[in-house]
Amino acid sequence: MMANLYDWLVSVQHDSPHLMKALLAGGLVSTTCALIGCFIVLRRTSFLADAVAHSMLAGVVAGYLLMKLVYGDSAHAGAMLIGSIISGIITVAMVSFVSRASRVKEDAVIGIMYTGIFALGGVMVSFFSDIIHIDLYHFVIGSLLGVGDADLWMMGTVSCVVVVFILMTFRWLQIITFDRVMAASIGIPVVLMDYLLTMSTSLVVVSGVRMVGVILVVGLLIAPAATAYLLCDRLRNMLWVSALLGWTGFLLGYIASEYMNVAPGSAVVVALTAQFMLVFVVAPRYGLLADWRRRLTAVPQQEVEDILGSVLRADGEALSLQQIAGYLNKRPERLRRAASSLDRQGLLAGDAQGYTLTDDGRKEARRLLRAHRLWETYLREAGVHEENLHAHAHVLEHVHDEDAVDYLDDKLGHPLIDPHGSEIPEDFLHLVPGELVKLAILREGHTGTIHSVGGLVSDQANSGETVEVGPREGDGRIWVVSVTTTSGDKRTLRLDHEQADDISIRLD
Amino acid sequence: MNTDVSAIDVQNLTVSYGPVPALLDVSVTIPQGQLVGIIGPNGSGKSTFIKSLLGFLRPDFGDIRLFDEPIENSKGRVAYVPQRGAVDWDFPVTVREVALMGRYAKRPIWQNLTKEDRDIADEALEMVRMSDLRNRQIGQLSGGQQQRVFMARAMAQGGDILLLDEPFAGVDAATEHAILDVLERTKASGRTLVVVHHDLTTAAEYFDTIMLLKQRLFAYGTPDQVMHPELLSQVYEGKLRVFATMDGDSSAAGDES
Repeated sequence: MMANLYDWLVSVQHDSPHLMKALLAGGLVSTTCALIGCFIVLRRTSFLADAVAHSMLAGVVAGYLLMKLVYGDSAHAGAMLIGSIISGIITVAMVSFVSRASRVKEDAVIGIMYTGIFALGGVMVSFFSDIIHIDLYHFVIGSLLGVGDADLWMMGTVSCVVVVFILMTFRWLQIITFDRVMAASIGIPVVLMDYLLTMSTSLVVVSGVRMVGVILVVGLLIAPAATAYLLCDRLRNMLWVSALLGWTGFLLGYIASEYMNVAPGSAVVVALTAQFMLVFVVAPRYGLLADWRRRLTAVPQQEVEDILGSVLRADGEALSLQQIAGYLNKRPERLRRAASSLDRQGLLAGDAQGYTLTDDGRKEARRLLRAHRLWETYLREAGVHEENLHAHAHVLEHVHDEDAVDYLDDKLGHPLIDPHGSEIPEDFLHLVPGELVKLAILREGHTGTIHSVGGLVSDQANSGETVEVGPREGDGRIWVVSVTTTSGDKRTLRLDHEQADDISIRLD
Repeated sequence: MNTDVSAIDVQNLTVSYGPVPALLDVSVTIPQGQLVGIIGPNGSGKSTFIKSLLGFLRPDFGDIRLFDEPIENSKGRVAYVPQRGAVDWDFPVTVREVALMGRYAKRPIWQNLTKEDRDIADEALEMVRMSDLRNRQIGQLSGGQQQRVFMARAMAQGGDILLLDEPFAGVDAATEHAILDVLERTKASGRTLVVVHHDLTTAAEYFDTIMLLKQRLFAYGTPDQVMHPELLSQVYEGKLRVFATMDGDSSAAGDES
């Protein structure tokens, strides 16, 4: 494959050197466009980029005229380049000024300005048609194969400038795109950066127009960047993926145009669009297929949790799907997908006898049980009637993110039993040997060393002493702790919730 | 830092987006170490006030001094937590990268971020308990988690003034708790906090001082002074039926504090 490609390149260079130039120019321009395109996509300024591309015509003509009339120099490339950059900046400045100073919204202002400035260029071309020889057709449609040495130099310089600019100011570009207010507040010159980005856009657009023409240049900017946007979760990655896609898109389009003998500019943009459509369908996270797959394999979280709960209550016995369905009052076939999803996640182990919990599954199920019983206790305190408790808690237990449940536990004063008299599982996620926890979450039998003591109990306990927690008193509202000092003396402390919260314990 | 000068000193601030001013002739002086709440109906200029303090909006006229210096000299001293709706959650950026942005003010553009910066950002994420999710893209977080990421960014920046735009809007109880905790700790370290707040029933409980804003500054003082039903219903016009029924509660909360 590589050898074939090499042979092909050699034959191309030999037979037609202009193709080689086109290949080089296209590679440079398409990757640079793709880089700048990332910021255009993220800042949602595609339409503005299009406007900059069109307004170029006026700048090119003005640059041409100036050199022709003042110096008699016709088609001076440098003057036309500078002219097009200036006209790009003027367009952006006009757009931002008019949209800020009038009630007309930005998209409408862009529409006015870019057609206006583009048309002005057209008027100038026809008015000075005797001295100006600009091929409007090529301006609109591009001419990749007509790329000359001067163009190549221009494109190379532009690419270098733009790449260096992005590399050097990456952090600033990132933050003015993501959070302008913060960028301004930490002293980043937001407006200056906007204009530098616009200038870079103008520069790459000028080289892009030479290649694919003013109509298609937007595709060169945006298609690879948008494709990368569907693939990446970090701006850094998005930039180089976009550059890569710009290059592959160009190569595909260009080779196709050689074989099929079609306009290369159009072929490149078609290839870039095809790449986008392909990624749009197959992107692993943000693609169409991934989305369908998520919908198809989605299992109601409630079913998952109900199944775990049922198997936990069976206390080690294997439960068949029919039995689980019986408990939950649902049809077995409805639960099959949820059960097999749990199996895949390693929470349930299924065999001929039925389903049992794995260690992870047992942990998860106890976590849910704790949430359920804490919610019941909470609802009881909030005045919900006894017979409705279970049903309400059954809904609410699905709100079981750790923070919320621990908060509930704390607010309720770390209750031991729920309103039906069943034990509420302890906070086993935090009660791990070696962990630093508040005394209040400890249960009977836990032991540990006092790590620090707050102001409320500073006269009763000292760090370094060991504790063993006894049964609670006073309806579970008084913590009883037997404390052993470093010299071996023992005493018993009776603490309320606040005091118990004030002592932190390193668990044995 | 000289502790005598006030943290924020605003004189005759007027800001407008079009013919109608969003803020008109607002003058307020906030001493250091205060926890100030800004309340007011929708569109009353609360966010505009915050953005002016950040130097993002150019006032029509008026003067803002932070620690007796013009805003241009206080770049980076003001950290900011944006309103949730103002953030592009699809932006390709991870939790850790957002926290790292807090360090951008400290490093000139030609310097790379150092290990120290990364450690500070990680520590801030640890403080809001977001370390486990540090490599997630920010759109894949719950509302409360998203809020906490930006809190971490503000802490990593470590400015003397912290501005928060509606941090409690649409967060769960645990996050509300975590945010309050961070606010208290920040205040205890001597920093000044200004918080845009939408919930009148909790405002008196959360803040030392309250600004009641609707284009003009209607009241500025302790919760007892500001949270008067007549004053509030004048500012909120007819939209305050909820508050009228909670009248008893709110004054009770005011008395406690």
